[in-house]
Amino acid sequence: MQSVGSGTRAIRGLGVLAAAAIVVLTLAACGGGGSSSGSNTTSSGTAVKGGTAYFAEGTQAAPNYIFPFAPLQYFSTTNFQDFINLMYRPLYWFGQGAGPNLNLSLSLANAPQYSNGGKTIKITMKNYKWSNGESVTAQDVLFWMNLMKVEKLNWAGYAAGTIPDDLSSVTASGNTVTFQLKSTANSNWYTYNELSQITPLPMAWDVTKAGQKPALCGTAEWSQVQVAGSKVTPNSAAAKSCSAVYSYLTGQAKHLSSYASNPIWAIVDGPFRLTHFDTSGNVTMVPNKKYSGPVKPKLAKFVELPFTSDSAEFNALAAGKVDVGILPPTDITSNATTTGTCGIKPGANNPRLAANYNLVAGNAWQANYFPENFNSTGNGGQAGKLFQQLYFRQAFQILVDQPAYISHIDHGYGVPTYGPVPVCPTNSFAASELKLGNPYAYNPGKAKQLLTSHGWTVKPGGTSVCANAAKCGVAAGTKLDVNLQYVGGSPFEDQLMQSQKSSWAQAGIHVSLSTGTFDTVLGNAVPCDSSSSNCSWQMENWGGGWIFSPDYYPSGEDLFQTGASSNSGSYSDKKMDSLIHGSTVGNETLDEYGVYGAQQLPVVWQPITLTANEINKKLQGVTPINALTNINPENWYFTK
Amino acid sequence: MTGYLIRRIAQSVVVVFGVVLLTFILTKIIPGGAARAALGPKATPLKIQVYNDQHHYNVSIYQQFWIYIWQIVRHGSLGYSDKYNQSVRSLIDERIPKTLVLVGLSTIFALIVAIPLGVLQVVRRNKPVDYIVTGASFVGYAMPAFLLGELLILWFALDLHWFSFEAPQSNSVWGELSDPRALVLPIFSLAVLTIAGFSRYMRSSMMEALTEDYIRTARAKGASPRRVLYRHALRNALIPIITLLGLTLPAIIGGAIITETVFNYPGMGLLTTNAATQNDVPLLIGTTFVAAIATVIGNLIADLLYAVVDPRVRYA
Repeated sequence: MQSVGSGTRAIRGLGVLAAAAIVVLTLAACGGGGSSSGSNTTSSGTAVKGGTAYFAEGTQAAPNYIFPFAPLQYFSTTNFQDFINLMYRPLYWFGQGAGPNLNLSLSLANAPQYSNGGKTIKITMKNYKWSNGESVTAQDVLFWMNLMKVEKLNWAGYAAGTIPDDLSSVTASGNTVTFQLKSTANSNWYTYNELSQITPLPMAWDVTKAGQKPALCGTAEWSQVQVAGSKVTPNSAAAKSCSAVYSYLTGQAKHLSSYASNPIWAIVDGPFRLTHFDTSGNVTMVPNKKYSGPVKPKLAKFVELPFTSDSAEFNALAAGKVDVGILPPTDITSNATTTGTCGIKPGANNPRLAANYNLVAGNAWQANYFPENFNSTGNGGQAGKLFQQLYFRQAFQILVDQPAYISHIDHGYGVPTYGPVPVCPTNSFAASELKLGNPYAYNPGKAKQLLTSHGWTVKPGGTSVCANAAKCGVAAGTKLDVNLQYVGGSPFEDQLMQSQKSSWAQAGIHVSLSTGTFDTVLGNAVPCDSSSSNCSWQMENWGGGWIFSPDYYPSGEDLFQTGASSNSGSYSDKKMDSLIHGSTVGNETLDEYGVYGAQQLPVVWQPITLTANEINKKLQGVTPINALTNINPENWYFTK
Repeated sequence: MTGYLIRRIAQSVVVVFGVVLLTFILTKIIPGGAARAALGPKATPLKIQVYNDQHHYNVSIYQQFWIYIWQIVRHGSLGYSDKYNQSVRSLIDERIPKTLVLVGLSTIFALIVAIPLGVLQVVRRNKPVDYIVTGASFVGYAMPAFLLGELLILWFALDLHWFSFEAPQSNSVWGELSDPRALVLPIFSLAVLTIAGFSRYMRSSMMEALTEDYIRTARAKGASPRRVLYRHALRNALIPIITLLGLTLPAIIGGAIITETVFNYPGMGLLTTNAATQNDVPLLIGTTFVAAIATVIGNLIADLLYAVVDPRVRYA
């Protein structure tokens, strides 16, 4: 080994290479562009105009669509609440304070006036201005409606029989637009679920090519826009024009990198306009100086930043690079406490963030649940029959200890769901449901008693067996063995599901858990008939239930009405149908529907996890966090 | 050599076609379907039907495959990702340079460190330096990438403020390279794993080379230790490293999912993983297509480089 041992000098030469690499890294540390310093600890002070607020986008959820007339695949919080709505205001703005109510102050029109037994609706515009100087008129509303008539299959909010199918005419005259309905509708339902879908479009968008003369879609009368057949084929010159305009604007919306430079998208009526957008999700907006709304932006810039993971967002918060972001659940160090029905008081902030940020609990306008398949052919054909038994659904729900899961799994950042109308944040729709409270409070003894009294031989920790078919409602000898598939990959969801499994086991209800991807679970959870081959699924949990947007009125016609497309479990009940009909077509409130839904358990109600929001102590105007996840950066301002 | 090249390229085309076909079939077997994945819980049967019509998912799998291949051949199109609202090709075109910067630089850095380290270990075999480097290699190899990344961020970015907590956020290669402070931690964290592996290979390869007859002959002819090490042993010891590098090409193109996730750097790794988890069928097939091409090219390059560094290897 002499030669090797004497190779020291040679090694030194090689060592220089390795050392050089390290030196390069060290030099890089000293040079290069530095990051700005974090925010200080001031929590109050004098308001200052200007400044740049940095907003964290949802993890791996960067905006990717700008045209407000979006198909369902682009209808997301990231695209609408965080992006499109800041530039192009909907006709009616929903969300007041933390709640979901109609906000007339931020709407482009005055309150809709219903007459003729609710069949005629008059809407008066407020004379907002587009950034090109033109007024936001009734004709702009008609432009949207014409587009919707022709391209309804490509509109996210469309459901058969609803707007625009339920309209016999729409006319624009001066600053008033008049909707004539084919039949009467509940005014709340129509305003919150149908008019909520309209966004006036500028006449400058009524083109089929850049620089061309205006098309017919924007100026055509409703009756001139004619379509035919189930495929909604354009059947008139105006309709063909709408189709061409839609194709053009959709085509423009596919060029993400040109969003900030395209003159089409520069015409806005919202408080902000776009100055930078890249395909990675970096967004910069500046105030629209011609914004006609009541609150003018005070910030000089509003910047949205993309993140690949929760931990990347946390690091950005810790480095002080973000002013408004979300604390990942894994980084919550102290439990929140509940005050009253809906109040959530955050615990101590994460020590790395406490100096610069205030922690604020979010809100959600949502009913969380997972469906049971009432027509399931699983468990030897007995699963569907079992789910049809109210006593079983009651026993099953009684064993779901929502307050405990919120406290132990969600760190207190959650609210329970006890019925179909969200109780939190406090709102006018859920008065009766609020009084009712939790009709099925956690009580394993009661669950066992319910099963025993209905003919089951209960085996805690094992699998109960039906001993009396007449009482059970299923064949004698049937085992209380059900399957539940949920979306895997989240430790919190795993924990929640395992906790419930243990809880159900106390009454001898054996639940076999399995996981799938989001689309697998959703793909299984479709309404089916027991005679079809794909109806063996029993329970599917996609994690989230239903978010009420743009159907802000939680009336349940999509969820629990017999035959509704999103009635995954094929729940069917005459009284429920009647209550839903009363609150959508008649003049009923949601009171009775909410209470009945809470008692009847058409689905298994689950707790809602809320976000823990981090807000820079020097940034004011961000709270309360709206349940519809709308953001209003025009209210935000920095303090000295 | 030309004949060999033609044969290998023909084989590669068959392999790539097979991979794409297999991936295409597998994506059709996944339950749920692309429409459900894209449209979410509010998808009505009508909307699913419209979506499937617009994306040709209602025709037979043979027709779908034919449409896909025709798009590639005729228009060079790999399809459209609704999840990103971008063409698959533009997504890949955008992410590959980012990934090349991150993984490519880390591989170069790893080589620059690992080769001397491997040689050093042989020269100082069974001495404290050897033990220390071996121990450090094992630690580096065993360290989960996300843990190392998070620790580096915690210490060097958040506490000491030496480096940025995230990789460069620019969309251009030049923009990324002009922010070296932000490149240090992701490159280093990715390189640690590679250094550990490469240095072990280098050590064993070098040890083997130094026992060969030609080394003894070189010494007998009076060659200096430096010349023996560099000209005779090192060149031969590098052959296995070249194989390793060739096989690293798919990884360089494929990205580094953990590092990209931790350092907020959307590259090919994240793109591919998301395509799989979100059932983004066109993107999944597109990224697989690119990975297959990178794999066959990487293997081909490795085989060709053999002939360059080892005169004994000749391809007929």
